[in-house]
Formats: sequence, structure tokens, C-alpha cells
Amino acid sequence: MNELVLQKKVCLVGAFSVGKTSLIQRYVHSLFSEKYQTTVGVKIDKKIVVVDDTQLNLMLWDVAGEDDFTQIRPAHLRGLAGYIVVIDGTRPNSFDVALDIHLRIQRDYGIFSTVFVLNKSDLQDQWRLTPEHLHRLINLGFPVVQASALSGEGVENIFTNLARQLVTAHIGA
Amino acid sequence: MSSILEDIYNSLNIVAFSYEADQQFQLLSDMPDWLLFFLGHVENDSYPLFDSFAYLSCFKEDAELHWQEAKTEPLASGPWIEIDALEQSIAFEASALCSQGKRILLIQNLGKRYTQELERYQQVRNSLLTKEMLETEVQRRTLAIRRREEELAIKLVSLTSYRDQETGTHVRRIGLYAAAMAKALNWSEEQIDIIRIAAPMHDIGKIGIPDRVLRKNGSLNDAEFTVMKQHTEIGARMLSGSTIPVLQMAQVIARSHHERWDGTGYPEGLEGEAIPLPARITTIVDVYDALLHERIYKEAIPEYESVSMMRDMAGRYFDPELFKLFERLLPVMRQIRQEVSEFTG
Repeated sequence: MNELVLQKKVCLVGAFSVGKTSLIQRYVHSLFSEKYQTTVGVKIDKKIVVVDDTQLNLMLWDVAGEDDFTQIRPAHLRGLAGYIVVIDGTRPNSFDVALDIHLRIQRDYGIFSTVFVLNKSDLQDQWRLTPEHLHRLINLGFPVVQASALSGEGVENIFTNLARQLVTAHIGA
Repeated sequence: MSSILEDIYNSLNIVAFSYEADQQFQLLSDMPDWLLFFLGHVENDSYPLFDSFAYLSCFKEDAELHWQEAKTEPLASGPWIEIDALEQSIAFEASALCSQGKRILLIQNLGKRYTQELERYQQVRNSLLTKEMLETEVQRRTLAIRRREEELAIKLVSLTSYRDQETGTHVRRIGLYAAAMAKALNWSEEQIDIIRIAAPMHDIGKIGIPDRVLRKNGSLNDAEFTVMKQHTEIGARMLSGSTIPVLQMAQVIARSHHERWDGTGYPEGLEGEAIPLPARITTIVDVYDALLHERIYKEAIPEYESVSMMRDMAGRYFDPELFKLFERLLPVMRQIRQEVSEFTG
């Protein structure tokens, strides 16, 4: 019997085409599509996660990725409890965008539960991130998870890791 | 509502609500099928829209402010996606406005408009992906060229190293130290790469110095020292006339790395900031590495003693501000020294 039920808003952010939608699809619906379909606007999925005695109703906000012309609408981050920053290991540019978004959120909204995802681990032979990139990421002090929406590797870990942080933050608040 | 207006709403896929109280919205137009699935049907046509659509939670604050200010132009929420009864994606957008004192919320099914927008974005982002991929490939190849340049430079320098018994690891360390300094000075990645390759060539002119001077055990007399000093100009001449940025910087360093901050150096007696910055950097790191390592003519000196000696030289031999930066970077220099030691190199 769960003692506590929490509802938390979680945003997936990052550059366009890093695999945010695919990660949610894999996690919530156990599906993966090879075809890249860009996201315009927001799509919200729900998933229940149980952490120890706490039931978490996650509202997963799949926020359209950033590109040269589009930035996240600040309103989309309202009510945020945590966020997942997705990086495509094959695209160094997506690393810069991810860090920029992360720093913007910290500056404008504060510090939240966060997980960094190095996505597309199935394409590791094509990764262009350097050890220096990884070093910088680890030095930020948040969990970094390697994942593949295609194979499913690490996907569960991303969300359970964030869920644990959310519960800890809730208990500590 | 008039039937004309109702037709217009239908053809635009818009449904109108007015905000009442307690987060309830009164339906003002007909309830279309595409919305019925999400809201259901209630007797009094009063719906808790902010609860029905999770997305509207992020629009609520802006909409309420807009209504309070009684603005008549619509404020759009931006699009969001819902999944309908047939598991199809359906794109909505809400707009808030005031009309005749009422707080109005319109919900529109974006339909084809959204599909067209999506296609446009898809094309733009595919182009951006291609551009990004090409840029990454160019960077990768540029890096490969830089590595080849670096290897060539090291090979070139090793020609002189054979003669003056300077080690290959010393030469590599000089490049890495100089690059660390350049990075701390916020140079561009390209310039950092260039100095990493160019700095090791600072003594390349020694190839033109006769063995009797270059390999002499013991101190040089005045005449020999005059000959030795020529290595700066010989090196600069060897590297001159190139359009390759690495060789251009190497030339500057080769010529000026024996200039001193107080103007008593050679070959030109340049003073202060008249000495090119890449040369000022190389001077400091070259002395640091030479002091710390054993040579045929001297014992290795511990770091604290070497740095203390160098501190005395700052402002006379070295750019004092640059030397302060160097001291702050000592942990980095130490790490380079450990990683590229005489034994591992």
C-alpha cells in the first residue's frame, strides 16, 4: 500500500532531433520509430512510477527541441519539478544547446531535480563527444545516463533516477 | 449564437467558451465531435478546461493576466498535441481574449494548418541536421589535418633535437603548456590548436648553429654566444613566407622567444607588449620546463625552487601579468608534466 501520491511535472528538453520524443515513446509505450518526426509545440504523457512508499504520477512534457530559430517558451517550464536534458552523442552541437538550456533554467527558475541523458548509445562508434565534454557534464553534479531509445538501454534508468530525486526533494522540502 | 457565426466556427474548427467562476468555462458555440472525446458532455455546458487539458496549466497565468487587462486581441497559447479516440494525434491551440466584458477562451483544432507547419519545420530541421553534420565532418577533418601538421612539426623539430640533445617530450610539453595558457586567455579553439603546434618550433633555428657552439660543454664565450643568438633569426627565416597559420605563428615565436619584457633580450630588443604574445607565452613555459628537467649541462631543479626563480624574473624577463596567470595554472602544468614525462613520452 502506497502512503504518498505525488504529481510532478517533468520536462524533456534539448536540441531538436536528439530523441526526446523517442525516449518518452520507449518509456511510456515501449515503442520506437526509426523515422525522425519533429515536434512542434508540446505533447504530454503520463506515467506512474513507484519509489519505495511513494507513488509518483509523472506528467512528462515533451517540449519541442531548440534550433537556430526556436527557443523553449518560458511558459512551458511553469510548475516544473524536474527536467531531463537530452544530448545526442553524435552531435557536439546538441551538447552546447543542452548546457545552454540547463544554465538558463537554473538562472531563471532555480535548481531542480535533473538528469542528463547521452542518447543514441547504439551509435557509440559515431559519437563525437570528447572526454572533455563528458568531464564538463559530470562536473555539473547531476546524474548522467547513457541511453538508447532504439534498444531501450538506460531508458528506465533515466526516469527512475529522476523519480528518486523528486521524492527525495519532496521529503526534504 | 447565429447560424452564420456557428458555420464560421465550424469551418475554422474553433470552439468558444466564456470564463465564469471557479475555473469553469461556459460553452458558447456548438460542441464539435473532435472536442467531445476530451470534454465529454455535461448538462449545463460548463467545463473545467484548465483541468481537462494539462497543457493549459502553463497558459492559465498568461490568460488570466490578459483577461484582467481586458485585452481584445487574442493571446495564443502555442500548439499542443492530444491523442484522440482513434489514437491519432490532434493539435490544439487556445486563445484568450475579452469581448463585450466577457473573458473568452477559444480552442482551435489546428488540423491541416498544424500538419503544414510540421512539414515546414521538418524540412528546416532536416536541412539544419545536414548542415550540422557537414560542419562536424569539416571539424573532424580539420582536426585530422591539425594532427598531421603537429606530427610534421614535431618531426621537424626533432631534427634539431638530435643535435642539441633536447628531448621530444620537452618539445611536446612546450606545446601543451602554451595551449593551456592560450585557453586561459580565452583564445579561440583554432588559435589554441595553432600555438600548441607552433610553440614547439621555437628553437628550430638551432639547426643552423655549428656543433662547436651548440654542443659545447660549459659556458659560451662572447663570440660563441653571438653565434648562438642567431638561432632566433635563422628560425624565423626558415619559417618565413608561409601562408599556413601554424608556420606564421611559429615564425613569430622563433624570432621573439628570447626577447625580454624589460627590452634587454634579443634579436630586436623589443620591450613589453611590443613582444608578440605567443612569444611571451612560449618564453615562460620554455624556461619552466627547462629548469625542471635534467639536461647534460644541469641538474633538475624542484618545482617550488624553479617557480621561485622565475618569480624573480617576472617583470624583467617575463610579462608579469602573464606570469601571474602561469602561476595560477601550475596545477595544469604539473598534470601535463606528469602525463608527458621523459619516461612516458
